[in-house]
Amino acid sequence: MTTSATRSPVPRDHPASPAARGADGGRHRTSLFTRLFGRQPIGILLAAPYAVFIAVIFAFPIGFAVYMSFTDYYFTAPGVTVPHPFVGLDNYKTVLTDPAVLASFGHIGIFLILNVPLTVALSLGLAVALNRAVHFRTFFRAAYYVPYVTASVAVVAVWLVLFRSDGLVNQILGPLAPDPSWLVNSTWAMPMIALFVTWKQLGFFILLYLAALQNVPKELYESASVDGAGAWRSFRSVTVPGVRQATALVLLLAIVTGANLFTEPYLLTGGGGPDGASTTPVLLMYQQGIQQGKPSTASAIGVVLVILVLIVALVNRRLTERSER
Amino acid sequence: MTAPRTQEGHGSEQDTDRPVPVVVAAVGQGQRWRRFLVMGALFTGAVVFLFPFYYMVVASLQLSPNLTVGGAFPRPGNLTVDNYIQINASLNLWQSLLNSGIFTGGVLLGTVVFGVLGGYALAMLHFRGRGVLFSAMLLVLVVPFQLSMIPLYVLIARDYGLGDTYLGMILPFAINSTAVFIFRQYFLQLPSELFDAARIDGASELRTLWSIALPLVRPALLTAVLLTFIGPWNEFLWPFLITKQQAKQPLAVSLANYISTVQASTANPYGSILAGAVVLAVPAVALFLIFQRHFVSTDLGSGVKG
Amino acid sequence: MRPSRPSRRYRHGVAAAVLAGAMVLTACGSSGGGSTSDAASAKGPIKIWYSNNEQEIAWGQQVVAAWNAANPNEQVTAEQIPTGKSSEDVIGAAITAGTEPCLIYNTSPAAVPGFQKQGGLIDLSSFADGTSYIETRTGELAKQYASADGHYYQMPWKSNPVMIFYNKDMFTKAGIDPTNPQLATYDEFLATAKKIVDSGAAPFAIYPAPSSEFYQSWFDFYPLFAAATGGKQLVADGKSQFNSPEGLAVANFWKQIYAEKLAGNETHTGDSFSDGTAAMAIVGPWAISVYKDKVNWGVVPVPTAGATAAEQIHTFSDAKNVGMYASCTNQGTAWDFLKFSTSQEQDGQLLTLTGQMPLRTDLPTTYADYFAANPDYKLFADQAARTVEVPNTPNSVEIWQTFRDAWTSAVIFGKSDVQQTMTDAATKIDQLASQT
Repeated sequence: MTTSATRSPVPRDHPASPAARGADGGRHRTSLFTRLFGRQPIGILLAAPYAVFIAVIFAFPIGFAVYMSFTDYYFTAPGVTVPHPFVGLDNYKTVLTDPAVLASFGHIGIFLILNVPLTVALSLGLAVALNRAVHFRTFFRAAYYVPYVTASVAVVAVWLVLFRSDGLVNQILGPLAPDPSWLVNSTWAMPMIALFVTWKQLGFFILLYLAALQNVPKELYESASVDGAGAWRSFRSVTVPGVRQATALVLLLAIVTGANLFTEPYLLTGGGGPDGASTTPVLLMYQQGIQQGKPSTASAIGVVLVILVLIVALVNRRLTERSER
Repeated sequence: MTAPRTQEGHGSEQDTDRPVPVVVAAVGQGQRWRRFLVMGALFTGAVVFLFPFYYMVVASLQLSPNLTVGGAFPRPGNLTVDNYIQINASLNLWQSLLNSGIFTGGVLLGTVVFGVLGGYALAMLHFRGRGVLFSAMLLVLVVPFQLSMIPLYVLIARDYGLGDTYLGMILPFAINSTAVFIFRQYFLQLPSELFDAARIDGASELRTLWSIALPLVRPALLTAVLLTFIGPWNEFLWPFLITKQQAKQPLAVSLANYISTVQASTANPYGSILAGAVVLAVPAVALFLIFQRHFVSTDLGSGVKG
Repeated sequence: MRPSRPSRRYRHGVAAAVLAGAMVLTACGSSGGGSTSDAASAKGPIKIWYSNNEQEIAWGQQVVAAWNAANPNEQVTAEQIPTGKSSEDVIGAAITAGTEPCLIYNTSPAAVPGFQKQGGLIDLSSFADGTSYIETRTGELAKQYASADGHYYQMPWKSNPVMIFYNKDMFTKAGIDPTNPQLATYDEFLATAKKIVDSGAAPFAIYPAPSSEFYQSWFDFYPLFAAATGGKQLVADGKSQFNSPEGLAVANFWKQIYAEKLAGNETHTGDSFSDGTAAMAIVGPWAISVYKDKVNWGVVPVPTAGATAAEQIHTFSDAKNVGMYASCTNQGTAWDFLKFSTSQEQDGQLLTLTGQMPLRTDLPTTYADYFAANPDYKLFADQAARTVEVPNTPNSVEIWQTFRDAWTSAVIFGKSDVQQTMTDAATKIDQLASQT
């Protein structure tokens, strides 16, 4: 039984690995060379296009955004020079004491709590089911993928109609329908967005899991069943560990997508929702940075958001990689 | 040593439709029950998932808007393809589709070629700057577009002078970082025995990449293509910023322009918006249907048995 | 095996990004602008943008063709941009990159202070006949479009005076006389609205957009405020004017409408007046071409607290103007083309092709023939002489966003007390309006 097949990153720096020899032969030259460029310097060459891409496209805007967050900055036409005084942490102070900004971070928190577990559970479950079902498999796969593919603008219009106070959903629910209807209800607005985004993005994550499931060897399932494991036990002991890498990716992407939510609150709840109950940090960044011409505070919000997301992502990484060593 | 061999004795592994049985020892009744339940759940889920899209298609075919429950089941007399004809008349559909194709194709090309190389390097090779590159990739994934939008536009339109060009449209999307992440993860989870064997045989890294890694990357490639496709295909804001010439605008932009002006001229403006969305969605769904057939088990684990 | 050191990697990443960014920053210097005096008289080809709705495209194409035929050495190239939500964003980004055209026939007066602050607009008063041309063509109303320094950075072009459209068939169905619809005072308006909804003639009486974009207050609060105060703006001389008895009366009027479900507080897709969801609409004459085949409509001025003669009622202008932008090298041609496209003849074309009101003095007399042939528009022409513009003040967009947030909270969703919320908003807005 090939046990190592599903175990992921075996460290490549095996002490016995002959790859340490590199392009040349001598050991003394290897150490200096290796120290300068790493054990497989060909990697620099292979990764160079991607690295250059990042440097050329994103380094300037991201660096500039960080720079703006520490100054009093606004965009000007070329040739127009205005002072951009360094203001230290003032923008951050303004932003972190603004109740609207804090509320928007709270809304994202609610969103993530609802969306992320639901996404992981549903997408894994559906991927497992779609990997198995025989009849109509193509139809099912397409059905779950279609919302992901459709442009938000149009699909939002349909949801707006479905969830109006006289819409289909309320007509079915009858007396159970909430009184300010779903999308204009301060309590329900953000959960509705969470539901919408889960529905819309599920196809993406199902796809990730489907691909990962292809690499779980059948022998594991067979040996599990030989050992007398039922379907659920098999799922827990074979499938879930087998797709751990994919789960880590799904978690990361779900968190990042959720934290950067902009289009859905903008479209679904008319730019901020009932009394600002569904604002998000990126929505505020758009309003302040692009509409109101205050990119410095917008960048401060952005930097805070990025830091928070990185922290959450790193925590997530720690949790999912604990058994890898 | 190239493609993994299927293990002997497992019969028709090539049959793509054969389900992976979790319980090999069929317990007859129990298995059928379970399968029935699974199918039922899947079907219900599929109906719920598809319903808004179905509603969209139906509404786009209506002559006059019917927003009530009955709208979901339209009268034959209320059906028309007028909205679609209107779209075809108002914008140059084929030119827009071509532009979308060039835009998306450029992105796919960049991602598939350079993303695979980058992902492979990040996963398998130790080199100076690997940690920095990984952090940079993570940063790019995390930073929202609105934060970098204006400096990015200034950089590409003014400093690089790429306004109103396809290259300017493609550039910010050229290598999709999610795809690089996926490639890296995929390579990481390949069994190390494959590569160790190559190293023992004295193969250089490039040789290993070419002969072993690349042939195996097909499933990840498919996933990455399907996932990377959607971004540029549906992208509105960036192409709109970067190009004002109508001849160069992709379909998402042309449709958005159309939507903002369609209120006045049609009988069912709501329907024409939805018709536009259906037109935009159809190629993506078609692509998916073509590619998803390839999501089958590759018997990778058994290939290691050598 | 050592655990990953994420914090160090993160710092690496940020350091790399910032370092690279700094290098790229210093490497690319900003391109200098040309000298103003040369540019002001330079002639040559120019580029313009106009909006992409059908009628304005028709107007745009004919004016460009007419000019190009007469001026072969000063050709005008035109591109379209949508009038939608993102057009100001696009213009702002284009200004920053220096890629905007010479003239944009879609410049929102609320965006002008921001563009001016960016250094993106050219001072039209710097042309020899700049101020005189603008003030002669537009008259008294031109003063509302001047900037704080008294100069003009925009050419007033067209307005869409906001009035109340009502659906005559629905009114008849509700038992109201369609020729005398009782919509002049707040009390009458409320009573009529209630009658419509109670009788089932329409689900809602009126349906202004309840969403939170900064410009939505221009179509519920602002027209009535203009009417109630005889032409006051939201802010004047750095002080809010809406926190007054008249302003609060307008707010309470709308609050009652929302509270009694006479207007919807959910985003409606599409036009609620033309699809029969609402019996009234509060909009300008551009909508006539949308409604003409779908609704049997009538129009009255917006209501005021007590009865006011129609000839004295003010309203919001919903204007769009023309700006000349900083990247323009052939400003001489641009100014000449601007004058050409806002001449009496071309304004007449605009009126004929789009039905929108040129921002000029004495429209009914100047275009008497047109209004004789199209009596529908005559009411708007009269109203066009009494319009109020958004105030030309620093932080204009942020001010309107602050107001809108207060409005949705207190008026649309009834979550807070009107008086208190408006006072808080006024304090914040005073601060914003007095910044330089």
